Amino acid sequence: MSLRLFVNELNGNRVEGELIKTIIYSLMTSFVILAILYLSSLKYINNFIPKYGLFLFLAALSYALILPSVRQVRAYKEFACMPGMMIGMTIGMISGFLPGYFIGATNGMFYGSIFGMAVGILLGILNGKSCGIMGFMEGIMAGFMGGIMGAMTAVMMINDNLKLAGIILFIISSVILIGLNYMIYKETKENERQLKEDHTFTIFATLILISITTWLMILGPRSVLFQ
Amino acid sequence: MAHDTWAKECFVPMKNTTILGFVLLIIIAGGVFLFTKNDASSDDITGNAIANNEIQKITLGIKNYNYYPNTITVKEGIPVRIYLDKSVPGCYRSFTIREFGISKNLRTPEDYVEFIPDKKGTFTFACSMGMGRGKLIVE
Repeated sequence: MSLRLFVNELNGNRVEGELIKTIIYSLMTSFVILAILYLSSLKYINNFIPKYGLFLFLAALSYALILPSVRQVRAYKEFACMPGMMIGMTIGMISGFLPGYFIGATNGMFYGSIFGMAVGILLGILNGKSCGIMGFMEGIMAGFMGGIMGAMTAVMMINDNLKLAGIILFIISSVILIGLNYMIYKETKENERQLKEDHTFTIFATLILISITTWLMILGPRSVLFQ
Repeated sequence: MAHDTWAKECFVPMKNTTILGFVLLIIIAGGVFLFTKNDASSDDITGNAIANNEIQKITLGIKNYNYYPNTITVKEGIPVRIYLDKSVPGCYRSFTIREFGISKNLRTPEDYVEFIPDKKGTFTFACSMGMGRGKLIVE
Protein backbone atom coordinates (compact mmCIF):
# COMPACT_ATOMS: atom_id res chain seq x y z
CA MET A 1 0.00 0.00 0.00
CA SER A 2 1.45 3.36 -0.97
CA LEU A 3 0.53 5.08 2.34
CA ARG A 4 2.75 2.58 4.16
CA LEU A 5 5.45 3.16 1.56
CA PHE A 6 5.11 6.90 2.18
CA VAL A 7 5.54 6.42 5.94
CA ASN A 8 8.62 4.23 5.27
CA GLU A 9 9.92 6.89 2.89
CA LEU A 10 9.83 9.44 5.74
CA ASN A 11 12.90 7.59 7.01
CA GLY A 12 14.38 7.11 3.54
CA ASN A 13 16.78 8.92 1.24
CA ARG A 14 14.35 10.73 -1.07
CA VAL A 15 13.10 14.27 -0.37
CA GLU A 16 10.32 12.74 1.76
CA GLY A 17 13.05 11.57 4.14
CA GLU A 18 13.98 15.22 4.69
CA LEU A 19 10.47 16.46 5.53
CA ILE A 20 10.70 15.74 9.25
CA LYS A 21 14.15 17.33 9.41
CA THR A 22 12.70 20.41 7.68
CA ILE A 23 9.95 20.59 10.33
CA ILE A 24 12.55 20.40 13.08
CA TYR A 25 14.85 23.00 11.48
CA SER A 26 11.91 25.37 11.05
CA LEU A 27 10.69 24.84 14.62
CA MET A 28 14.17 25.34 16.02
CA THR A 29 14.59 28.57 14.05
CA SER A 30 11.23 29.91 15.23
CA PHE A 31 11.71 28.98 18.86
CA VAL A 32 15.25 30.36 19.00
CA ILE A 33 14.03 33.70 17.59
CA LEU A 34 11.02 33.76 19.92
CA ALA A 35 13.18 32.85 22.93
CA ILE A 36 15.69 35.62 22.13
CA LEU A 37 12.90 38.16 21.64
CA TYR A 38 11.11 37.01 24.78
CA LEU A 39 14.17 37.21 26.98
CA SER A 40 15.26 40.55 25.56
CA SER A 41 11.98 42.47 25.37
CA LEU A 42 8.70 40.55 25.04
CA LYS A 43 8.61 39.41 28.68
CA TYR A 44 8.15 43.04 29.74
CA ILE A 45 4.87 43.30 27.80
CA ASN A 46 1.88 43.08 30.09
CA ASN A 47 -0.05 39.79 29.71
CA PHE A 48 2.21 38.71 26.85
CA ILE A 49 1.80 34.94 27.18
CA PRO A 50 -2.01 34.85 27.65
CA LYS A 51 -2.54 37.40 24.87
CA TYR A 52 -0.05 36.36 22.20
CA GLY A 53 1.65 33.13 23.40
CA LEU A 54 -0.67 30.57 21.87
CA PHE A 55 -1.03 32.41 18.56
CA LEU A 56 2.75 32.83 18.16
CA PHE A 57 3.23 29.17 19.08
CA LEU A 58 0.63 28.07 16.51
CA ALA A 59 2.16 30.40 13.90
CA ALA A 60 5.58 28.78 14.45
CA LEU A 61 4.01 25.32 14.10
CA SER A 62 2.13 26.39 10.97
CA TYR A 63 5.28 27.64 9.23
CA ALA A 64 7.01 24.40 10.25
CA LEU A 65 4.28 22.45 8.46
CA ILE A 66 3.98 24.65 5.37
CA LEU A 67 7.71 24.81 4.57
CA PRO A 68 8.27 21.03 4.18
CA SER A 69 5.58 21.02 1.47
CA VAL A 70 7.39 23.91 -0.24
CA ARG A 71 10.64 21.93 -0.04
CA GLN A 72 8.97 18.86 -1.53
CA VAL A 73 7.56 20.89 -4.45
CA ARG A 74 10.93 22.58 -5.06
CA ALA A 75 12.64 19.19 -5.15
CA TYR A 76 10.58 17.99 -8.14
CA LYS A 77 10.13 21.42 -9.80
CA GLU A 78 7.56 20.39 -12.45
CA PHE A 79 4.16 18.80 -12.12
CA ALA A 80 1.25 17.92 -14.39
CA CYS A 81 -1.69 20.35 -14.43
CA MET A 82 -4.02 18.73 -11.90
CA PRO A 83 -1.45 18.01 -9.17
CA GLY A 84 0.13 21.42 -9.79
CA MET A 85 -3.19 23.18 -9.35
CA MET A 86 -3.89 21.18 -6.20
CA ILE A 87 -0.44 22.15 -4.88
CA GLY A 88 -1.00 25.86 -5.64
CA MET A 89 -4.46 25.79 -4.12
CA THR A 90 -3.57 23.88 -0.95
CA ILE A 91 -0.39 25.76 -0.12
CA GLY A 92 -1.94 29.13 -1.08
CA MET A 93 -5.08 28.52 0.95
CA ILE A 94 -3.46 27.13 4.11
CA SER A 95 -0.55 29.58 4.12
CA GLY A 96 -3.05 32.43 3.72
CA PHE A 97 -5.62 31.15 6.19
CA LEU A 98 -3.43 30.37 9.20
CA PRO A 99 -1.32 33.58 9.34
CA GLY A 100 -4.51 35.53 8.54
CA TYR A 101 -6.25 33.89 11.50
CA PHE A 102 -3.41 34.52 13.96
CA ILE A 103 -2.90 38.16 13.00
CA GLY A 104 -6.67 38.69 12.71
CA ALA A 105 -7.03 37.44 16.30
CA THR A 106 -4.64 40.06 17.68
CA ASN A 107 -4.68 42.99 15.24
CA GLY A 108 -8.09 42.89 13.57
CA MET A 109 -9.52 42.01 10.21
CA PHE A 110 -7.75 44.49 7.94
CA TYR A 111 -4.19 43.70 9.02
CA GLY A 112 -4.93 39.97 9.33
CA SER A 113 -6.35 39.90 5.79
CA ILE A 114 -3.46 41.85 4.30
CA PHE A 115 -0.79 39.70 5.94
CA GLY A 116 -2.66 36.44 5.25
CA MET A 117 -3.18 37.38 1.60
CA ALA A 118 0.45 38.42 1.18
CA VAL A 119 1.83 35.14 2.57
CA GLY A 120 -0.84 33.02 0.85
CA ILE A 121 -0.45 34.60 -2.56
CA LEU A 122 3.35 34.56 -2.41
CA LEU A 123 3.61 30.89 -1.43
CA GLY A 124 0.67 29.98 -3.68
CA ILE A 125 2.45 31.47 -6.70
CA LEU A 126 5.87 30.03 -5.82
CA ASN A 127 4.44 26.52 -5.61
CA GLY A 128 1.57 26.72 -8.09
CA LYS A 129 3.88 27.80 -10.91
CA SER A 130 5.30 24.27 -10.91
CA CYS A 131 2.58 23.41 -13.44
CA GLY A 132 2.48 26.71 -15.33
CA ILE A 133 -0.08 29.48 -15.51
CA MET A 134 -3.01 27.42 -14.19
CA GLY A 135 -1.27 26.62 -10.92
CA PHE A 136 0.01 30.19 -10.75
CA MET A 137 -3.56 31.53 -10.99
CA GLU A 138 -4.84 28.93 -8.56
CA GLY A 139 -2.15 30.00 -6.07
CA ILE A 140 -3.16 33.66 -6.32
CA MET A 141 -6.86 32.95 -5.91
CA ALA A 142 -6.40 30.52 -3.03
CA GLY A 143 -3.98 32.83 -1.19
CA PHE A 144 -6.34 35.76 -1.59
CA MET A 145 -9.34 33.77 -0.35
CA GLY A 146 -7.49 32.04 2.49
CA GLY A 147 -6.05 35.30 3.83
CA ILE A 148 -9.41 37.03 4.02
CA MET A 149 -11.21 33.99 5.40
CA GLY A 150 -8.63 33.43 8.13
CA ALA A 151 -8.79 36.98 9.44
CA MET A 152 -12.60 37.09 9.17
CA THR A 153 -13.00 33.83 11.09
CA ALA A 154 -10.74 35.09 13.88
CA VAL A 155 -12.56 38.41 14.26
CA MET A 156 -15.94 36.71 14.33
CA MET A 157 -14.74 34.34 17.07
CA ILE A 158 -13.20 37.04 19.22
CA ASN A 159 -15.72 36.61 22.08
CA ASP A 160 -16.24 32.94 21.43
CA ASN A 161 -13.74 30.08 21.66
CA LEU A 162 -11.03 31.89 19.71
CA LYS A 163 -8.07 29.92 21.06
CA LEU A 164 -9.73 26.52 20.82
CA ALA A 165 -10.91 27.31 17.28
CA GLY A 166 -7.30 28.23 16.42
CA ILE A 167 -6.08 24.84 17.63
CA ILE A 168 -8.84 22.97 15.76
CA LEU A 169 -8.19 24.89 12.54
CA PHE A 170 -4.46 24.25 12.89
CA ILE A 171 -5.04 20.49 13.32
CA ILE A 172 -7.31 20.38 10.25
CA SER A 173 -4.74 22.35 8.23
CA SER A 174 -1.99 19.96 9.37
CA VAL A 175 -3.97 16.96 8.14
CA ILE A 176 -4.52 18.72 4.78
CA LEU A 177 -0.80 19.53 4.44
CA ILE A 178 0.25 15.97 5.32
CA GLY A 179 -2.29 14.79 2.73
CA LEU A 180 -0.59 17.10 0.22
CA ASN A 181 2.83 15.60 1.07
CA TYR A 182 1.38 12.17 0.41
CA MET A 183 -0.20 13.31 -2.85
CA ILE A 184 3.10 14.76 -4.07
CA TYR A 185 4.86 11.51 -3.12
CA LYS A 186 2.30 9.48 -5.09
CA GLU A 187 2.61 11.73 -8.12
CA THR A 188 6.41 11.74 -8.14
CA LYS A 189 7.21 8.18 -7.08
CA GLU A 190 8.78 7.39 -10.42
CA ASN A 191 10.35 10.82 -11.00
CA GLU A 192 13.93 11.92 -10.53
CA ARG A 193 14.60 14.61 -7.97
CA GLN A 194 15.46 17.89 -9.74
CA LEU A 195 16.83 20.00 -6.89
CA LYS A 196 18.95 18.89 -3.98
CA GLU A 197 19.35 21.63 -1.38
CA ASP A 198 20.39 22.08 2.22
CA HIS A 199 18.16 23.71 4.86
CA THR A 200 19.20 27.32 4.21
CA PHE A 201 15.90 28.11 2.46
CA THR A 202 13.85 26.65 5.34
CA ILE A 203 15.79 28.60 7.97
CA PHE A 204 15.69 31.83 5.97
CA ALA A 205 11.96 31.56 5.15
CA THR A 206 11.10 30.72 8.78
CA LEU A 207 13.21 33.62 10.01
CA ILE A 208 11.40 36.09 7.74
CA LEU A 209 7.91 34.73 8.42
CA ILE A 210 8.16 34.43 12.21
CA SER A 211 9.89 37.80 12.54
CA ILE A 212 7.20 39.62 10.55
CA THR A 213 4.43 37.74 12.39
CA THR A 214 5.88 38.63 15.80
CA TRP A 215 6.48 42.24 14.86
CA LEU A 216 2.96 42.65 13.47
CA MET A 217 1.33 40.94 16.42
CA ILE A 218 3.15 42.87 19.12
CA LEU A 219 4.04 46.23 17.59
CA GLY A 220 2.05 46.37 14.36
CA PRO A 221 -0.95 48.56 13.61
CA ARG A 222 -4.37 47.48 14.88
CA SER A 223 -7.98 47.93 13.82
CA VAL A 224 -10.23 50.15 15.94
CA LEU A 225 -11.63 47.32 18.04
CA PHE A 226 -8.13 46.16 19.03
CA GLN A 227 -6.66 49.51 20.06
CA MET B 1 37.60 -2.68 13.67
CA ALA B 2 36.03 -4.16 16.77
CA HIS B 3 35.48 -0.67 18.10
CA ASP B 4 33.67 0.38 14.89
CA THR B 5 31.33 -2.62 15.07
CA TRP B 6 30.59 -1.88 18.73
CA ALA B 7 29.84 1.78 17.92
CA LYS B 8 27.47 0.82 15.11
CA GLU B 9 25.60 -1.60 17.36
CA CYS B 10 25.30 0.77 20.30
CA PHE B 11 24.55 4.06 18.52
CA VAL B 12 21.77 3.17 16.12
CA PRO B 13 20.61 6.49 14.58
CA MET B 14 17.08 7.39 15.61
CA LYS B 15 14.46 7.15 12.87
CA ASN B 16 12.94 10.40 11.62
CA THR B 17 9.49 9.21 12.68
CA THR B 18 10.72 8.51 16.22
CA ILE B 19 12.20 12.02 16.42
CA LEU B 20 8.88 13.39 15.18
CA GLY B 21 7.10 11.50 17.97
CA PHE B 22 9.29 13.20 20.61
CA VAL B 23 8.78 16.62 18.97
CA LEU B 24 5.00 16.07 18.94
CA LEU B 25 5.01 15.30 22.67
CA ILE B 26 6.90 18.52 23.41
CA ILE B 27 4.55 20.50 21.13
CA ILE B 28 1.44 19.09 22.85
CA ALA B 29 2.86 19.92 26.29
CA GLY B 30 3.69 23.49 25.14
CA GLY B 31 0.25 23.89 23.54
CA VAL B 32 -1.56 22.78 26.70
CA PHE B 33 0.51 25.22 28.79
CA LEU B 34 -0.25 28.16 26.50
CA PHE B 35 -3.90 27.24 26.02
CA THR B 36 -4.57 27.15 29.75
CA LYS B 37 -3.01 30.59 30.37
CA ASN B 38 -5.97 32.93 30.55
CA ASP B 39 -5.97 36.65 30.03
CA ALA B 40 -6.92 38.11 33.42
CA SER B 41 -8.24 41.28 31.77
CA SER B 42 -10.97 39.40 29.89
CA ASP B 43 -13.09 38.71 32.99
CA ASP B 44 -16.73 39.83 33.20
CA ILE B 45 -17.32 43.47 34.10
CA THR B 46 -20.55 44.25 35.83
CA GLY B 47 -22.49 47.50 35.60
CA ASN B 48 -25.84 48.57 36.96
CA ALA B 49 -28.40 50.69 35.16
CA ILE B 50 -28.89 54.20 36.52
CA ALA B 51 -32.55 54.87 37.29
CA ASN B 52 -33.58 58.35 36.17
CA ASN B 53 -37.19 59.58 35.91
CA GLU B 54 -38.50 56.02 35.91
CA ILE B 55 -36.14 54.94 33.13
CA GLN B 56 -33.13 52.73 33.73
CA LYS B 57 -30.35 54.13 31.53
CA ILE B 58 -27.10 52.42 30.66
CA THR B 59 -24.33 53.32 28.23
CA LEU B 60 -22.14 50.58 26.83
CA GLY B 61 -18.61 51.09 25.51
CA ILE B 62 -15.93 48.73 24.24
CA LYS B 63 -13.16 47.09 26.25
CA ASN B 64 -11.15 43.92 25.55
CA TYR B 65 -12.93 43.48 22.19
CA ASN B 66 -16.34 43.31 23.88
CA TYR B 67 -19.11 45.49 25.25
CA TYR B 68 -18.19 47.24 28.50
CA PRO B 69 -19.74 46.54 30.94
CA ASN B 70 -20.70 43.12 29.64
CA THR B 71 -22.99 42.22 32.55
CA ILE B 72 -25.86 44.62 33.31
CA THR B 73 -28.34 44.31 36.14
CA VAL B 74 -31.77 45.96 35.79
CA LYS B 75 -35.06 45.89 37.68
CA GLU B 76 -38.11 44.10 36.33
CA GLY B 77 -41.01 46.19 35.03
CA ILE B 78 -39.13 49.51 34.74
CA PRO B 79 -38.23 50.65 31.18
CA VAL B 80 -34.58 50.20 30.17
CA ARG B 81 -32.79 52.46 27.72
CA ILE B 82 -29.43 51.34 26.31
CA TYR B 83 -27.00 53.65 24.51
CA LEU B 84 -23.71 52.76 22.80
CA ASP B 85 -20.97 55.35 23.27
CA LYS B 86 -18.71 56.57 20.45
CA SER B 87 -16.01 53.97 21.21
CA VAL B 88 -18.28 51.19 19.87
CA PRO B 89 -17.18 50.50 16.27
CA GLY B 90 -18.62 48.97 13.10
CA CYS B 91 -21.07 46.10 13.32
CA TYR B 92 -20.98 46.22 17.14
CA ARG B 93 -23.43 49.11 16.75
CA SER B 94 -26.04 46.68 15.46
CA PHE B 95 -27.49 45.82 18.87
CA THR B 96 -29.81 42.92 19.67
CA ILE B 97 -31.57 41.32 22.65
CA ARG B 98 -33.45 38.41 21.14
CA GLU B 99 -35.68 37.61 24.13
CA PHE B 100 -37.08 41.18 24.17
CA GLY B 101 -37.36 41.51 20.39
CA ILE B 102 -34.68 44.22 20.22
CA SER B 103 -32.69 44.62 17.01
CA LYS B 104 -31.52 48.08 16.01
CA ASN B 105 -28.52 49.76 14.42
CA LEU B 106 -27.51 52.53 16.84
CA ARG B 107 -25.71 54.80 14.41
CA THR B 108 -24.82 57.60 16.84
CA PRO B 109 -24.14 57.79 20.62
CA GLU B 110 -27.53 59.54 20.96
CA ASP B 111 -29.47 56.62 19.47
CA TYR B 112 -30.83 54.04 21.90
CA VAL B 113 -32.97 50.97 22.28
CA GLU B 114 -35.77 50.97 24.83
CA PHE B 115 -37.80 48.10 26.21
CA ILE B 116 -39.59 46.98 29.37
CA PRO B 117 -37.99 43.92 30.98
CA ASP B 118 -41.19 42.07 31.80
CA LYS B 119 -39.63 38.79 32.93
CA LYS B 120 -36.93 37.92 35.44
CA GLY B 121 -33.86 35.99 34.42
CA THR B 122 -30.53 36.23 32.61
CA PHE B 123 -30.61 37.14 28.93
CA THR B 124 -27.96 37.67 26.30
CA PHE B 125 -27.38 40.93 24.48
CA ALA B 126 -25.14 40.87 21.44
CA CYS B 127 -24.26 42.51 18.17
CA SER B 128 -26.20 41.12 15.21
CA MET B 129 -23.40 38.69 14.31
CA GLY B 130 -22.86 37.53 17.89
CA MET B 131 -19.25 38.74 17.97
CA GLY B 132 -19.74 41.08 20.94
CA ARG B 133 -21.96 39.81 23.70
CA GLY B 134 -22.94 40.23 27.34
CA LYS B 135 -25.50 39.32 29.99
CA LEU B 136 -28.59 41.25 30.98
CA ILE B 137 -29.77 40.24 34.44
CA VAL B 138 -33.36 41.19 35.25
CA GLU B 139 -34.09 41.09 39.01
